[in-house]
Amino acid sequence: MLLHNRIAVLRAERKLSRAALASSVGVNPQTIGFLERGDYMPSLELAFKIAEHFGLPVEAVFSPRPFRTLSEQVYEMHKREA
Amino acid sequence: MAVREERSWFWRKIGFWFVPVKAETLGPEEWAKIRKISRTGKNQRTRRLFALLWAPGLAFEIAVSLRVVRLDPWAGLMSTALLTVLMGLAVRALWIGFAQVSLEDQAVIEYGADFDALKEKQRAEILQRQVRDVLFGRVKVDEHEAERRLRAQGAAYRLLGPGLVVFVTGYWAVCLFGPFGATRSALAVTAVVVTWLAALVLAAPTMIRTWTQPDEPGEIAAVGE
Repeated sequence: MLLHNRIAVLRAERKLSRAALASSVGVNPQTIGFLERGDYMPSLELAFKIAEHFGLPVEAVFSPRPFRTLSEQVYEMHKREA
Repeated sequence: MAVREERSWFWRKIGFWFVPVKAETLGPEEWAKIRKISRTGKNQRTRRLFALLWAPGLAFEIAVSLRVVRLDPWAGLMSTALLTVLMGLAVRALWIGFAQVSLEDQAVIEYGADFDALKEKQRAEILQRQVRDVLFGRVKVDEHEAERRLRAQGAAYRLLGPGLVVFVTGYWAVCLFGPFGATRSALAVTAVVVTWLAALVLAAPTMIRTWTQPDEPGEIAAVGE
């Protein structure tokens, strides 16, 4: 099963390098690259560590289904509020 | 990220000599070559070429050991030990190389800059550390690397089973039907030893699991009630 994730987007938002994230969650920087490319499924422990690093629930970072783009979600949220 | 300053005097001064050339004196062309070589391990085609070349290399080592042991058993022991240690070191260096980050990534991790933008001394420091790490096994094995290793070991063991069966069958066939005359019975003894060694190797994981697997928690009748 492929596990989709938002790590690249979350990193970009926070201007965080792969190396910094890797160091924070205790893996090699290339592992973050493999995760972002979808070449590797993280252990539960690593998934929770990454989610915790971004201060988000794990389902906001990882999903078995493809994520909708953030811009789509923001647009829909605004539409609902209006 | 800060540069690793905790390196001892030994690593900074003596370890330098484990790099074949003085890195500070390298020009752009030499650096380009070094970076090209360091990238070869990341290239699947090159890795497969190494793997293919390993088999004839192993055959050569076995042939050398057999030739030397016929001349003198002690010399045979010494040469076999030396060759197996060398092969072991090469295999270990490969394991470590898989887990190493590239020179370029290391530059970004340590200095937050492209490798090309670094000072000569900083490039040398990164290169020398990578060479030392390969020689002395100083590399971080994270969960991804550990999983890849486990997968490779599992695949190797799956190949080993049929491989050993074919080898033992062939060994027996040669012993029984080869033109050996009076030495046939002595060869048959070695075939028995080889057969049981193969059986031992194949049964080892199950035996280790039998020994180490903990008791099931709770009731024995897990599906009852």
